[in-house]
Amino acid sequence: MRATPVNRVTGADGITEGCRTEDGFDLYFGPVHPGSGNFGVKLTVRGEEVVAARADPGYLHRGFEKLMEYRTPMQNSVLSDRLCILESLNWNLVHAEAVDRLHDTEIPDRAKYIRVIMAELSRIQSHIIWYGVLSKALGFDTGFKVAFGYRDYVLDLFEFVTGGRVYPAGYICPGGVRRDFPKGTKERIRELLTKMEKMSREFEAYDNATIRTRVKGIGVLALDDAIRLGATGPVLRASGLAADVRRDAPYEVYDKLDFEIPVHEEGDAYARSIIQRREIEESIKIIRQALEQLPAEELPPVKPKAAGKIPEGEVYVRNEIARGEAGVYMKSVGESHPYRCKIRGPDFLHMIPVLEHLLVGAEVADVPAIYWSLNICPADMDR
Amino acid sequence: MAIGVIPQLIKNLFSRPMTVRFPHEAIPIPDGYRGEHAYDVGSCTSCTLCARVCPNRAIEMVKAPEEHREKYPKTYPQIDLGKCCFCGLCQDICASGAMKLTKGFFLSTNDRATVLRPPFASSEQD
Repeated sequence: MRATPVNRVTGADGITEGCRTEDGFDLYFGPVHPGSGNFGVKLTVRGEEVVAARADPGYLHRGFEKLMEYRTPMQNSVLSDRLCILESLNWNLVHAEAVDRLHDTEIPDRAKYIRVIMAELSRIQSHIIWYGVLSKALGFDTGFKVAFGYRDYVLDLFEFVTGGRVYPAGYICPGGVRRDFPKGTKERIRELLTKMEKMSREFEAYDNATIRTRVKGIGVLALDDAIRLGATGPVLRASGLAADVRRDAPYEVYDKLDFEIPVHEEGDAYARSIIQRREIEESIKIIRQALEQLPAEELPPVKPKAAGKIPEGEVYVRNEIARGEAGVYMKSVGESHPYRCKIRGPDFLHMIPVLEHLLVGAEVADVPAIYWSLNICPADMDR
Repeated sequence: MAIGVIPQLIKNLFSRPMTVRFPHEAIPIPDGYRGEHAYDVGSCTSCTLCARVCPNRAIEMVKAPEEHREKYPKTYPQIDLGKCCFCGLCQDICASGAMKLTKGFFLSTNDRATVLRPPFASSEQD
């Protein structure tokens, strides 16, 4: 059946009626746009210039905070995968830490190291996606394909360790990890890291003048604006502030590991892309150290319990995930389910105030570059 | 500018692709993969733990069909794969080992009825 053409009313200048405003012309970037993910921004453009930008969140809202009030911590662990599809293991860790703190559980050392290794692999994997989608936004398709090719090697490892490629199903769960590393994991991770180093060198080789012209001086976020608008993680570090929860308030075993925090002063899309590549290298360094220090004793698997109550109390846990600072506030009144679980995702602020601030004054052609340089994740923002 | 790209291009011409030609060739599925369920009614104790732990309420305890009811008088798990997220909590909580996740991943179907996996595969449920 042929689709009925939409009867658009156009003015003398060819602009659809209803899209013309006093300031210019309304342009919708997303939420169903190949370059936007599941998120939309309403732009008002005058010629090539964006004069106003209004983020339009809610397209991917699934109501996690409410869902978590009806589930046990182990079930919530599985749910926490979906908070950000691109870095499930990191979100598993934030949630698991909040429950552990309420229970006052002592986690075995080996489990702590496994948690850090998996979280860092998840960060690498997430940064690879960031590199891929930023390349795609710049029209550099090779970068996108190479990045996603390498990402699959990490997913192969996730499948080997957790049983799932993208969703680990709460592998990092309250009490440790759901199962120990299978035999041969250390060797496989070392092989993977060699591949990641090769990938890093490839990414460096692709950093040429064509790419730089598209990102240098684009979407400049000054440090005071970054702080005022609530930017965290790589976006804040690209604006010149060396803030990282892993160093400022170390959790798990980060205090025993030696790593640097890459910082850049420029605050533009190019600085953010450099931070992204440096962070992959730092994560490789962290994993190598963690593998060296990994205790040898066997780890019993953590099984779900038929019944159990969360001790009364409230906690706030924050972690450094690939996109910035993630937090979970959990309150329990002594029932089997949490009374309240508030989630603080880094992208809520990156995708609404920061993005709106950066888009005003930009050119239409630079919108995807600015958008993807912020390492966005609609799933994390809408929750 | 092009110095980094040209050797890479030449190398790519002679290197193996990153992908494999599925279905002629496939990446091996590791042990511990969370795929389709294998349920053994013989060792099931009808404890209902799998149904209670399921985060998506994909498991419903149903009665055995008439012809089996004498041997199996209790209720047994029926899995709705449309709701299942393959987390494996049912496998972990099952003390008798009746519920296991396998390496099966060819699950797409056009028939909605096949999404339900009753405990007794052959006949209709009550």
